Amino acid sequence: MRRIRSSNNPEIYLKPVFILKGINISDPFVNRLCDGTIFSLEQIEFIIPTVEKLLTKVNDLKFTNSISFEAQMIEKTISFMYTCDVFDLEPVPYVYSGINYSYPILSVNFRQTEEYTVLDILDIAEREGIFESEYFDRVYLCSNCSNGHLTYREVCPKCGSSNSTTEDIVHHFPCGYVGPISDFKNEIDDQLDCPKCDKRVRHIGVDYDKPSVLHECKNCAHKFQDYNVKAKCLNCLTDNGVEVLKGKEIRRYKLTKKGELAAINGFVSTSKDIDEIIGTVKFDTFKTMLKYEIERLRQTEGSSNICAIHITNPSQVYSKIGSEVQKGLLKDLVRVIRSNIRSSDVISFQSSSTIILSMNEIPNRIAKRILEEIINMLKRLMNTAFKNMEVNFETNVMSLDYKLSPELHIQQLTKDFK
Amino acid sequence: MFEEIIDNYVRFLSSLTVDHFIRLFWFFIFFEFVRYFLIEFVVLNLWRLSKYLNRDIYARARDEFFFENPLISVIIPGKNEGKHLYKLINSLNEQTYRNVEIIVIDDGSDDDTVTIGRDLERAGLITLFIRNEIRGGKASAANFGLRFTKGKYIIHMDADCSYDNDAIEKIIIPFYVDKEVGGVGGNVQVRNYDETLVTSLQAIEYYDTISIGRTVTSYLGIYRIISGAFGAFRADVLDQVKGWDIGPGLDGDITVKIRKLGYKIKFEQDAICLTSVPNTLKKLTKQRLRWDKSLIRFRVRKHKDVLFPNQAFKFANFIAFVENITYNLILNFKWYFYLVDMVVNYPSMIVNILITNILLYTFTNFLKFVLYSLYRPRSHTQYSFFLIYIPAMVFYFGYYLRVVRTIAYLQEFFFKLSYKDPWNPEKTSVHAKRLKL
Ligand SMILES: [Zn+2]
Ligand SMILES: [Zn+2]
Ligand SMILES: [Zn+2]
Repeated sequence: MRRIRSSNNPEIYLKPVFILKGINISDPFVNRLCDGTIFSLEQIEFIIPTVEKLLTKVNDLKFTNSISFEAQMIEKTISFMYTCDVFDLEPVPYVYSGINYSYPILSVNFRQTEEYTVLDILDIAEREGIFESEYFDRVYLCSNCSNGHLTYREVCPKCGSSNSTTEDIVHHFPCGYVGPISDFKNEIDDQLDCPKCDKRVRHIGVDYDKPSVLHECKNCAHKFQDYNVKAKCLNCLTDNGVEVLKGKEIRRYKLTKKGELAAINGFVSTSKDIDEIIGTVKFDTFKTMLKYEIERLRQTEGSSNICAIHITNPSQVYSKIGSEVQKGLLKDLVRVIRSNIRSSDVISFQSSSTIILSMNEIPNRIAKRILEEIINMLKRLMNTAFKNMEVNFETNVMSLDYKLSPELHIQQLTKDFK
Repeated sequence: MFEEIIDNYVRFLSSLTVDHFIRLFWFFIFFEFVRYFLIEFVVLNLWRLSKYLNRDIYARARDEFFFENPLISVIIPGKNEGKHLYKLINSLNEQTYRNVEIIVIDDGSDDDTVTIGRDLERAGLITLFIRNEIRGGKASAANFGLRFTKGKYIIHMDADCSYDNDAIEKIIIPFYVDKEVGGVGGNVQVRNYDETLVTSLQAIEYYDTISIGRTVTSYLGIYRIISGAFGAFRADVLDQVKGWDIGPGLDGDITVKIRKLGYKIKFEQDAICLTSVPNTLKKLTKQRLRWDKSLIRFRVRKHKDVLFPNQAFKFANFIAFVENITYNLILNFKWYFYLVDMVVNYPSMIVNILITNILLYTFTNFLKFVLYSLYRPRSHTQYSFFLIYIPAMVFYFGYYLRVVRTIAYLQEFFFKLSYKDPWNPEKTSVHAKRLKL
């Protein structure tokens, strides 16, 4: 289920999925990702109308190829919502979620440790007018890794240890002695005697009271009255002071009219798209040029190729960097590719994670070698630019075949990508 | 009318013989002038001389102190004193002596003291902030703080005071001059001396009576009260007396307890602390009533044993005690005796006697103020500021304070009112009264 719904290909993630099972699925997450449950194969006829309806709705949709990762995620979410006729995007309390709440169809695209990115994406969508929202709850996330799985402990203000004991403080009125109750204990009986004036302590409120408590740290022997509260992150083990935790609002979203239209017509983020990345052409333009190249090959001898470079872990990568850096990263990719190919070749983004380029009039094996070289350079670039982040690539090259349409070429080229 | 009085008075003066003068002004001559000026002046000179002769010992003591570099624990107990803390801590962080830990004890404040205290603690400006949720009185707060101290010497401070930057150094050195010293009192001066007439008069009182008076009694070995605003103690001695007993007047009380153990108590004129004094007559009256009541309570009632010979008997303690009682308690009532004496025996001359008394006191006050300025440490203020206030001192000191003191003594003698003072929580006062503390 996760694999299907987290695919980047609409043909996959919008597929009607039903679960065949003897019992109800209790996992709220899976429940919301599937289109229904049947208990035996005989029931299939009952779901046919639903499937038909879903498929008709899918046919309404147009998809843009925004290379903005956020835009892609938003488009995916709203088109799924549109096909199922669901207009509310509700946060679901979910223990396996990295932020403790899941928006299933959006969150499914992220590994638990990157799930906080959904909040940023929803924020963008709301600013674009796709959603309107209302307050639902508030979560606190680790200051280091934005994970919501925190364990709160009272710790020693000096050394941060949570290993401590607590004792009552006793004030003996007649003599003004103040000390922990253990000072008053004697070895003979379990009565309390004042260590200063030797009187027996008898009646709380009359001859003594307990004005406060005192904690003693078992680790560093520090005595203190006020614990620090710390939140230890179960993901990265950072011990956060509560004041540095990131407080985030969890909101309930509703698809707006504009959102619905965006689902049908495809969503291109106005602020975050990448038309202006120098050295690339729009994907539609690319397809047109591909069509002419195929046409040309039909008449002349020769060998031309198209290649694809795909980032296999975009949600991991993009969730770690801001949109500005993201754009910078894509620009760098294009610059590296551009320096390895001829100026007559064109580059285009199929999506924010897939780059398609042409390498015309060279043999296939040379194209392969050039692509290899590009990947090596890209890897080196990534290693120097982003120290703690792994960016994984996969590639494919194919020779143009004049018997196939441009669409089929691209489908063939990218069909094995994750 | 006015001219008639002047005429009358001139005639009175011209007919005054020496015998007659002594008979009419015996109180001033024998008690005020002799005790509060002549004896004091002689002793001040002796003290100056010995300070000069012992200057090498003092310098060596200072070296020894800085070489040993012992930890000094400052404890600051109080209720709702948060607002004063920043200023105080600032003056402490400027100290010439650096090995100091600062412990603030909050006695059940109901304002933002907790926030401020925790803040200072987190910022590392104070070593420890501890708190009793329920108020227990100043003694219990000081005792609670005491148990967290790690220093060799303990300095008790008040939150609404601030300190000269060499105050800690100066108050500790006497312990190194004489190893039998158990406690040292600092010199408390008035910060808001120019706020109102009342504060200006108190400033003069703090200069001439309190500061000089303590210098004198300290030299004579009969210094009685280590001020709570600024007092230093040997940690082991505080341990022996088991900390403070409940107040009010706990400053004087703990001083007596340390004396009884045989330790010396010193006053250090150069260890200077500035405090804000009450700025209205009403607040001042309240404060002085409390102070004066504690004389009865602690001298006459709780510690009367020092008057009677037993194994803990120390002659100096006896003298300190007798001196205190004579000049505060008995003298106070003697003055009324003098008043009656005059009214009964010289009713016709009463106006002239009054005028002469006022002139005599004022003259003495000027003389003292100017002469004593030679014996004071450097000051934060121009002395000339106070000269115009000196004529008012006779009314402040001679009449106002005397009346307040009388009321306090009578209240305490007959009604034991100090046990009802809201300065202590009632729960502790009840016990103090029953135990005759
Ligand atoms: Zn600790
Ligand atoms: Zn006791
Ligand atoms: Zn973390």
